[in-house]
Amino acid sequence: MAELSYETTRPATRRAGRHWARYRAGYLFVAPAFVLYAVFMIYPFFQSIYLSFTDWNGVEPVKTWIGLGNYRELFHDGHLWEAIKHNLIWVVIGTIAPMVLGLFLAILLWRRPRGFTLFRTTFFMPQVLSSVVIAIVWGWIYNPIFGLLNEALDRIGLESVSRGWLGDPDFALYAVLGAAIWAETGFVFVVFLAGLQNVSRDLLEAATIDGANAWRRFWDVTVPQLANVVTVLGALLLIGGFNVFDIVFVMTAGGPNNATEVIGTYTYTEAFTQNRIGYAATLSLVMTFISLVASFVFIRLRERGEA
Amino acid sequence: MAMHARRGRSVGYRLSRSGWEIGRYAVLVFFFLIFFVPFIWVWSSALKKSIEIATDPFGLPDEFCWQNIKKAWTVGHFDRYMGNTVIYCVAIVGGVTFLSALTGYALALLPLPARGAILLTFVLGLMVPFQSVMIPVYYLLRDIHLLETYWAFILPGIAFRLPFGIFLMRAFFRGLPSELGDAARVDGANEWAVFRQVMLPLAIPGLATLVVFQFIWTWNQFLMPLIFVQRDELRPVSLGTMFFFGRFTADRGMIAAGVTISMLPMIVLYLILQRRFIEGITAGALKS
Repeated sequence: MAELSYETTRPATRRAGRHWARYRAGYLFVAPAFVLYAVFMIYPFFQSIYLSFTDWNGVEPVKTWIGLGNYRELFHDGHLWEAIKHNLIWVVIGTIAPMVLGLFLAILLWRRPRGFTLFRTTFFMPQVLSSVVIAIVWGWIYNPIFGLLNEALDRIGLESVSRGWLGDPDFALYAVLGAAIWAETGFVFVVFLAGLQNVSRDLLEAATIDGANAWRRFWDVTVPQLANVVTVLGALLLIGGFNVFDIVFVMTAGGPNNATEVIGTYTYTEAFTQNRIGYAATLSLVMTFISLVASFVFIRLRERGEA
Repeated sequence: MAMHARRGRSVGYRLSRSGWEIGRYAVLVFFFLIFFVPFIWVWSSALKKSIEIATDPFGLPDEFCWQNIKKAWTVGHFDRYMGNTVIYCVAIVGGVTFLSALTGYALALLPLPARGAILLTFVLGLMVPFQSVMIPVYYLLRDIHLLETYWAFILPGIAFRLPFGIFLMRAFFRGLPSELGDAARVDGANEWAVFRQVMLPLAIPGLATLVVFQFIWTWNQFLMPLIFVQRDELRPVSLGTMFFFGRFTADRGMIAAGVTISMLPMIVLYLILQRRFIEGITAGALKS
């Protein structure tokens, strides 16, 4: 349709006036958004690419062109690889755990049993909190002295397990992840709940009559019909995991001893504390690249799975 | 067939059925506690005296003490942070919604050359993280002297969210028949009037979804203000809460009060507009 009207007006380029008369409204309606978008998104994006070829501290007027210098540095930057490893852990656990929990809760509430509204309201509630609030509350929960978690462990006789969760380099990343999963599960849950409304009951009935047990019905009948929802949620969580910043920054700022450093916090530090603008721009592009590739691969995999 | 099977259920089946029900509720209540106890803990800490927090950190308050809430509101600058957040929310939610409706409508129903290319340009913006533009935007804002003003969050905030809004609104307008405007056009209405008086009212359900989404995003946005509006007078609640936390770390009553103030407006709004929130979020997720 778009191409068609474009072709038919081709001769009209003879007279710019007619072109303008025909498209004036369209141009004027799109222009404000496009200008804002061009100034604060398109131009900065290309500027990021340019900066990634320079060495600049943000203050000097001169940006030194160093070609691929920053890109070469990436490969020797142990700190970056450490951060990427943390991102990978984050993505794997932070995608699978909310999906499993969210689907599980959605299935428990599928037939809208008594108390449905109360449970749905509560499970979804963390979703309206800012990550700063989540970070502070969970920082408290993990607190070695007055934290809820250690208190609970003590009460059930697991004193030996309790520790300063965020201060222990072996546990800090998983502790922050735990808070993120707590926050994210409610979102996954409501989306699955909506997806389950479209699962055909007739097919489930038919499977029951054919003698399929509950597990087979779930795995062979319900899950395939949720494939689309799984794709969307998976892609969203995956991208979110590679771009994670807020909750890590507020809870641990990448510490202790870089145990929770992710690309997001590393980029921020390089850009706004170390003032290594060129290298930080390169890191931000690495981040963009990874999340683009990840979502692309994921969608491809799903498409193949469906075919 | 199925009917017969249902009618003929045995006593044993019913027993195991109620066993299932108990198990289901045990699990649901367990998760209810996991999701709800942190809230109760923070809210009750906010209403306790400092001594009570130290002696009985997990119990409910003996009597409500509003001291900490009051102190956080004034001494902790939450009055100002809240005002700022309202300014940001009105500007960014309004800006994104209006511009997305305008652009989404044009891309869906108005004649436009290179429509596909324009749409693609916007949609690509859905896939890049904010980090990929944050550094140049920082220096751009500095150079045009908007850094550390309200605009430093408002303008990039709107720009960054346009792809999502336009995508959503275009999908919505495509569902409307384009002939709807023709009657008004025959009557001599210009395109703006057609949009404003015929199309926009029909798009209210779509706009509502976008507003909910955009509102939650703006209220909770952290990284943008962290970089662009650090000054205390300009901080929104999200950022203000972090600095407040740094300032009163040792005073648990104060922290709990600050966190409570910070989350309360959103929670109240959520409880009132629950269905809108959940449907908005679900629709937004499934359409993207």
